[in-house]
Amino acid sequence: MQVFKVYFKVLRGTAAPLAINLCVFVGLAVLFSSTAPETDPGGFEPVRTPVTVINRDVDGEIARGLVDYLGGVFRLVDYPDDEEKLQDALFHRMVEYVVIIPPGFSDRFLSGQDCAIRKVIVPGSTSSHYVDISIDKFLNTVRLHHMYGRSRNYEASGAELVALAMDDLSVDVPALLKVADGRAGGDPPGHSYYYRYCAYALLAMVTMGVSSIMIAFNRPDLYLRNLCSPIPRRRINIELALGHGVFALGCWGILVALSFVLHGKTLLESGLAGLYALNTLVFALVCTAIGFVVGNFVRSVDAQAGAVNVIALGMSFLGGVFVPQSVMSKPVLTAAKLLPSYWFVRVNDAITEVSAFTPGKLSPVFNGMLVQLAFAAAIFSVALLLSKDRSVSSV
Amino acid sequence: MFMHVFTYRLKCLVRNRQTVFWTLFFSLLLATMFCLAFGHLTSEREKFEPIKAAAVDNQAYREDVRFRQVLEHLSQPGDNQILDLVIVGKQEAEKLLEEGAVFGIIAVGGQGGSNPGAVRTQGGQAEAEAETETDVDTDADTDTDTGTGTDTGADTGTDTGTDTITLTVKERGLKQSILKAILDEYVQASRTVASILATNPGAARQLAAELQQRKGYTEQVSFSDAVPDTMLGFFYALIAMACLYSSFWGLRNTVDVQADLSSKGARRSVAPTHKLKVVVADAAAALVVSFAEVLALIAYMGLALKVRFGSQLGYVVLTCLTGCIAGVSLGHFIGTYVRGSEGFKTGIMIGANMAMSFLAGLMWVDIKHIVHLKAPVLAYINPATLIADAFYSLYVFDTHRRFFLNIGLLCLISAVLCTASFLRLRRERYASI
Repeated sequence: MQVFKVYFKVLRGTAAPLAINLCVFVGLAVLFSSTAPETDPGGFEPVRTPVTVINRDVDGEIARGLVDYLGGVFRLVDYPDDEEKLQDALFHRMVEYVVIIPPGFSDRFLSGQDCAIRKVIVPGSTSSHYVDISIDKFLNTVRLHHMYGRSRNYEASGAELVALAMDDLSVDVPALLKVADGRAGGDPPGHSYYYRYCAYALLAMVTMGVSSIMIAFNRPDLYLRNLCSPIPRRRINIELALGHGVFALGCWGILVALSFVLHGKTLLESGLAGLYALNTLVFALVCTAIGFVVGNFVRSVDAQAGAVNVIALGMSFLGGVFVPQSVMSKPVLTAAKLLPSYWFVRVNDAITEVSAFTPGKLSPVFNGMLVQLAFAAAIFSVALLLSKDRSVSSV
Repeated sequence: MFMHVFTYRLKCLVRNRQTVFWTLFFSLLLATMFCLAFGHLTSEREKFEPIKAAAVDNQAYREDVRFRQVLEHLSQPGDNQILDLVIVGKQEAEKLLEEGAVFGIIAVGGQGGSNPGAVRTQGGQAEAEAETETDVDTDADTDTDTGTGTDTGADTGTDTGTDTITLTVKERGLKQSILKAILDEYVQASRTVASILATNPGAARQLAAELQQRKGYTEQVSFSDAVPDTMLGFFYALIAMACLYSSFWGLRNTVDVQADLSSKGARRSVAPTHKLKVVVADAAAALVVSFAEVLALIAYMGLALKVRFGSQLGYVVLTCLTGCIAGVSLGHFIGTYVRGSEGFKTGIMIGANMAMSFLAGLMWVDIKHIVHLKAPVLAYINPATLIADAFYSLYVFDTHRRFFLNIGLLCLISAVLCTASFLRLRRERYASI
């Protein structure tokens, strides 16, 4: 097993970039698990759009009432009355709507003068319509009570009007969340995101590691030296393949173990850990094949790094790893079907949808895995064929 | 002599095709991929479009004239259209919902979610359900009262009144929430009318008119002309990465100047040219090549991919130049301080560049802002974040305070890295090479 031992000695040379790639992924995974949507509340809950209210009419009762009402409907995010900070928050969607209540708003509202709430929004966005509806609803309700609520000789105070409006707005329409085959709709769980991001980590790590080995063993002087060594060529190849297998399995094992560290409870409760792990294992095989190709056709470390990054980032972006497939345009998705990462993400999403182990639910999962295996086989075959041609011609 | 070293160094660098690919074409390729994958995603995802909904065509719906009128009014084509409504049978509506062709089913008479697997909720408050039904009863009475002589007069006396309006959805989302808000508003307005008429019965006619004309209370203002497109963050992080890839040229310089790393380095070490002159000429050549590459990338992104950088072209160029200086300095620093083979140094540099670009938002655009909020120090010492933030602040803000802070910090980091590298390189002696 000389070649097998040397394999890991050579691999040690790429330990640093591999570790950095793993760290980037772990950082990504931890951040995502800390910001992943919370577990489904079990029924329909309206979306609580993040809204910041800058109340410059501090003493106004109507303004205070509006803030209270918006606080009940939306998620109020505190930001100082600072233009730069608010712009920052809006650009990064930490808030989607900034409500600015101008000074003296309540007085002008109650005296029937023209008055308006200023809003800073993402122009034309759906969320801005949603908040508009609520602001208009509240103020129109208060206005109706103010104008018609009592006989003319009784002037209700702002606080009374707000209380009346709040009472009216406390009723709502029953909303039913239709449950499809035992699984309520909603955001995918955190472990689904985790396994989706595994595609990038596997592509970066396995491709980098395997190609580094292949580049080292394909260096012309070393290649010719090995050809005249007493170890048969076939044995060298078998030991190299074994090395690739153990390395890919090691990367896969680290990622799967990490998934249990970060999402163990939800993963076990879902009963889908095995399927996720299997899909990742199949993709690790695809990554090994890609690394094999890169290692066979690239000669220098610079070019290898370029190729690995183009492949890892390109496949991840186009396959739907970083941006969900559901929001990608149809032409891009059609082209992405030629990438194994597309099928990995598709299977990952299909696994998330599995609520019962029925043939109907499992067939898209296993079909997708078969497509990935076909990709792996095709990439390996092409690489072996071309590398054989080249090695014969170079000698 | 400086120009001589500079010219030949420039030729050497430009002829290194692999690094040219890595530093230029990779960025161009990635920019194209970004544009294909999510170039206009923000506007497409967030843009408001009339919400597709299905109303169940049953006896109760047909008899509730006022509710039908409201839905029809909201579905009128035009700028104010909120709903894209289809009126179909219950089974057809459920099929449409299942297929994702509509976001929700509106039903009068509580028949919308009659499937056995439905979970009934009331905005998280179970006890409110009974209350709502009672309220709707009140609402019906109100309709009868207020309808006389008004637009809703047609349905006076024909409202069933006792029917509950329900909404059935398949998943939680913004559009579903808007549907609910619209339906809530209908029952809430009815309750308002009921409570007002309880104390002021004479206001029926005016109230009916008021309900027809909802007043809008919001007025849009903006802090700047910039469209807050989150996806721009990906492109700015990509430019930051391209600037940092200047470090490849910096690394190549250090390999070619150190006698223990390359034969070229050994040859140049014994040349009588002053080391500082050699290092500065090499760095200038690296800067020229990398700056030209980043400008090509900016031109491609701005002209071909239509990425927005704002209108201050001079400052955009300044950011690119400062970013490239930081990149070359970083390459010099890694080349002189990391011990090991060239491959090892390259690996460390790629990893470091990736980690810094990741924190600048290359793979997850929100991370840059999160780092700014949670660990601002990390944002101030990461050249990639500073470059991306300089582009961001140029695009978003009208003032230049934050922009110059970023540029100043980048210059400082470059100065520290360059000085450290030169101190290491100067007067280096080798016992053996």
